[in-house]
Amino acid sequence: MTHRTLQSLLIIILAGMIVTAFAVDGTDIFSAFWEIQHHPARLFSDFIEVAGIGGALLNAALVGALGLVFSAIAGIPISGPNWAAVLTMTGFGLFGKTPLNVLPIIVGVYLAARIIGKGLKDYLIIALFGTALGPLVSALALEIGLPPLPAVLAGAAGGLVTGFFLPSIAVAMLHMHQGYNLYNMGLTCGFFGLFAAAFIRGFGGSLPALSVWASEPHPVQSLMVPVLSVFLLISAVVSGGWSAFTGLKRVLRMPGRLPSDFMDSASPESALVNAGLIGLIGSAYVWAVGADFSGPVLGGLLTIIGFGAFGTHLKNSWPVVTGVILAVLATGNSLAAPGPILAAIFCTTLAPLAGEFGVPVGIISGIIHFIMVSRSGSWHGGMDLYNNGFAGGLTATIIVAVIQWYRTNRGEK
Amino acid sequence: MKRKEQILQLIGEMASFMLDENPMRLVISLHQEEDGLHLAVIDDVDHTEQEIVELERILNSRKRPELSSYYGAMTGHDLLGSARLDLLGWSIKHADVMKMQQGIKIDLWIGGDRFDSRQFNIPEKEK
Repeated sequence: MTHRTLQSLLIIILAGMIVTAFAVDGTDIFSAFWEIQHHPARLFSDFIEVAGIGGALLNAALVGALGLVFSAIAGIPISGPNWAAVLTMTGFGLFGKTPLNVLPIIVGVYLAARIIGKGLKDYLIIALFGTALGPLVSALALEIGLPPLPAVLAGAAGGLVTGFFLPSIAVAMLHMHQGYNLYNMGLTCGFFGLFAAAFIRGFGGSLPALSVWASEPHPVQSLMVPVLSVFLLISAVVSGGWSAFTGLKRVLRMPGRLPSDFMDSASPESALVNAGLIGLIGSAYVWAVGADFSGPVLGGLLTIIGFGAFGTHLKNSWPVVTGVILAVLATGNSLAAPGPILAAIFCTTLAPLAGEFGVPVGIISGIIHFIMVSRSGSWHGGMDLYNNGFAGGLTATIIVAVIQWYRTNRGEK
Repeated sequence: MKRKEQILQLIGEMASFMLDENPMRLVISLHQEEDGLHLAVIDDVDHTEQEIVELERILNSRKRPELSSYYGAMTGHDLLGSARLDLLGWSIKHADVMKMQQGIKIDLWIGGDRFDSRQFNIPEKEK
């Protein structure tokens, strides 16, 4: 399967979302889309609840399309990392990212690249995943009470400054967990979000928690991810025959530590099979615990499908998910509640810990992760959409530090 | 300064990879030119033909600027876990892996766009 074919698959997925949006809500999706652009985007702002499934799907598809367009502009062919980035952007287009709030951040990252003599291609992954701070742009433009023109300028300037800082912070954060937190930009954006939230609150602004969550899903929401997963499995088999499944064994042997491009190190077909299986099993889990197929849950499922080509697979994920489930039950929470269901999906950010250091480390990581992620959202005022990446980064950092200390010093007289 | 860091990263990752096999002898040789460098690493550990082919494949993988400019920062620095030669493969010009009487020799060439690889005896077939 060529890079061009992978690009076509993503285009088909995004086009399918737009066609579905039209089929469900007709031309109302344009006003719904516009309503989303005006809505605060911090956690949790489920755009399906805000404007309906049609508008949310259109918004998500356009955000994902921006990822594709910038990959093409940068001249980077579709492979594991930008496959993951485009699907993650699409997923978060259902609850927090809009074309308007992600663009200034991407431009800011590009400016940082130019200043040190690099190009967009060098920081493409940072630019695409850095859009996790889209809600910061929306907050500056919509939530701090400025008149319209200054509000737009504040949002744009805030996004540019944010994007400018991201590359330097991203590399520093990478060293903290040594690549064992797949959503490194979640940690990066959360770290930056601590400062942003402090500044906004310091100057008298407030960032109250948002809780907009679609609890009565349209049938499209329940079927979307299973259909997408089956589409990926069929595409893989059509392209590579049954060898796509045999190549999966190679994927399952990899620890998944950043950067693990399964499309490159195994094959695109094997990565698609992995992604499809993750999507089906993830959906089955959501259905089994009785959780809502809300915007954030769909976003989470799209994200792990994306990372099915870039670090996540069933073998390195189950211990971490098990840890989260144990922690949820031990703390008396419901597995179907918003926080626990998202933690169970997004905790796979820590899959490389289980892949490299084994099942017990994976389970312990999942337990710590759930405790941390339940609290970390308020620290950055819900402005870092990858809150699980933030908590996962902190969890990975402490676990990696302990393992490194132990391995370095054991047996020392 | 950038070059010094790059060399340290390169040597760190290569040494980490070679030391995973616990060699009794490890030689690292650096040859610098104005716009490029050649690093030779020699050990005394036996490797199968298949391992050598795989090593050469990873080290000569296609260039990935989107990965090397970001994740490449971990090269030779974040060494907890298995060594990752793919981090090197995305940014080096060329690599050769040769079986020696005992052990292997890995030659790596790195350079900027003006780097003339002919100065470093890259085999004709690779040009």
